[in-house]
Amino acid sequence: MTLHLPDAVEARLLARRFMVRLGLVTVFDIACAAVVTYLMRIGSDFSVNLVFSLCIGTTALILIEGPRLLLWGDSAPPKPMFFPMLVVAAALAYVIGSTLAVWILDLPAQQVIASQTNNAVGLLVLTILASLFASWFFWSRGNLHALMARAEAEKAHAAAVEKQATQAQLQLLQAQIEPHMLFNTLANLQSLIAVDPARAQNMLDQLIIYLRATLVSSRAETTTLGHEFSLMEAYLGLMSVRMGTRLSRTLHLPDSLRDMRIAPMLLQPLVENAVKHGLEPKIDGGHIDVAASLEDGMLRLTVTDTGLGLDAAGGGGTAVGLANVRDRLRALHGATASLTLERNAPAGAIAQIFIPIRS
Amino acid sequence: MTDFHALVAEDEPILALALKQALQRLWPELKIVATVDNGAAAIEQALALHPDVLFLDIKMPGKTGLEAAQALAEDWPDGTPFPLVVFVTAYDDFALQAFEQAAADYVLKPVNDIRLAKTVSRLKERLALPQQRDAELERIVGQLRAMAPAAAASERLTVIRAAVGNQVRLIPIGDVLYFEATDKYVSVVTADSQSLIRTTLRELLPQLDGNQFWQIHRGTVVNINGVAAAVRDEAGKLSLKLRARSEILPVSRVFAHLFRQM
Repeated sequence: MTLHLPDAVEARLLARRFMVRLGLVTVFDIACAAVVTYLMRIGSDFSVNLVFSLCIGTTALILIEGPRLLLWGDSAPPKPMFFPMLVVAAALAYVIGSTLAVWILDLPAQQVIASQTNNAVGLLVLTILASLFASWFFWSRGNLHALMARAEAEKAHAAAVEKQATQAQLQLLQAQIEPHMLFNTLANLQSLIAVDPARAQNMLDQLIIYLRATLVSSRAETTTLGHEFSLMEAYLGLMSVRMGTRLSRTLHLPDSLRDMRIAPMLLQPLVENAVKHGLEPKIDGGHIDVAASLEDGMLRLTVTDTGLGLDAAGGGGTAVGLANVRDRLRALHGATASLTLERNAPAGAIAQIFIPIRS
Repeated sequence: MTDFHALVAEDEPILALALKQALQRLWPELKIVATVDNGAAAIEQALALHPDVLFLDIKMPGKTGLEAAQALAEDWPDGTPFPLVVFVTAYDDFALQAFEQAAADYVLKPVNDIRLAKTVSRLKERLALPQQRDAELERIVGQLRAMAPAAAASERLTVIRAAVGNQVRLIPIGDVLYFEATDKYVSVVTADSQSLIRTTLRELLPQLDGNQFWQIHRGTVVNINGVAAAVRDEAGKLSLKLRARSEILPVSRVFAHLFRQM
């Protein structure tokens, strides 16, 4: 067992707590003096008994609180050690406190000794009981404070989590369907109806899949990888009609992962980023590959493009979108999930999400 | 009557096709001499072919429609009438507002025959008056000026951090005489140094105090406190002399209005 020595800040806190307890002990002492004078009918003078009571009470406080703080600090003392200590300290306090009171009141020695031997057992028991009661009182008061502080902290934490969730939800809703994307797609569709009705029909089908999936998945807690991939197939289908030969795509989803559950809107921002910031602004366009695999108990989602790359992406939009995915990954899976973004050689970017699999 | 020539710049092939078909329907005499799918090619082809009408998509890879229009206004040869420019846009709040304010010609995608017919008749009117065509360049310059985004006072740069070798040089913004865009970098020039920063003028401009730093060319932004005089040569081209450096900075016609005498 090591001694717990307080530093300056702690010492000030301890001193303040000691003063509060001293005040409370004084109230107990007054009560004890009243009990001794009027119930136990020892001595006749309340003021004399009060001096005794104050001296014994204060000494008990010092003898109990001092060792407790030195030995156990702020943590709760183990009961099998604390109770014997309390009884010994109370007995000691009774002896020391009485001597102190006799010295203060300047009483004749024989009178005191006679009165004390007659009532020693009763007074000693009273001292011990009072000490027990005071200790129990302080203890429960401390516990109450700790409980209240913990409840307060929990409430603050819950509020912070809720705020973060609301914010993420909001950003999610805003990120979903960009008017620019929608109107450009509609413009293409309108033009295609006249020239190539069959292709227009096909494009409309993909737009419906994309709109429905995007709107529905944002409200669902989880979706399946198969669903996410068919959503990305529809999105990339729309984009390749729009971009023509400038965009080519491949998607790889092993059948075994098709039914795996995953939070929506994790893969989609990465794919949309790659198209919007990497491939669409590049004069020659390029290729995008979307893949899922299992590795060492982690699900790995990879979006590889041959677009403009990370330097050109510069715009603030990318950073916000990725930060949002990171926040959601942390909220859903803790620190083991991650999102990485790196250069692709010779051009473009590779975005990867790693999610731990619950077995 | 001579046939008029048009150039269509639109990166999405189906939309380019639709616009061309609609134009052929509504204006059969218009000859579409080239269709390009990016901003850089639009500049190159327009300078080579000198079309009478330019349809410029706003959002294109390479250069945006606005950047292409500005580059053309700066580089257009004297004595050749500047093309009438029509901007094409899908949906973009900012662009639409800017077009309204600048009274620029624009058509919305998806292209609507009724709306396009109005644009066509307006274009025909303007093409029929040769004396107005001389003013076309000035008109587009005025429009581009009106559409230039205002610099936000918020995140102003006070110090430029430029990597030189293995150290980062800190250059107080007041020491910068001018910024010059090179391929992927911006060159930061002070009285006695020249450093490169990895950014574009487009990203840099909103972070500069517009009262102190004036754009004088699509590739140059000058600290007006360091300018000694604006000089006009025999051909009418304007350029700036600096107090602390010997080089002369050309001012493009888009920004020449900034240096008219008071």
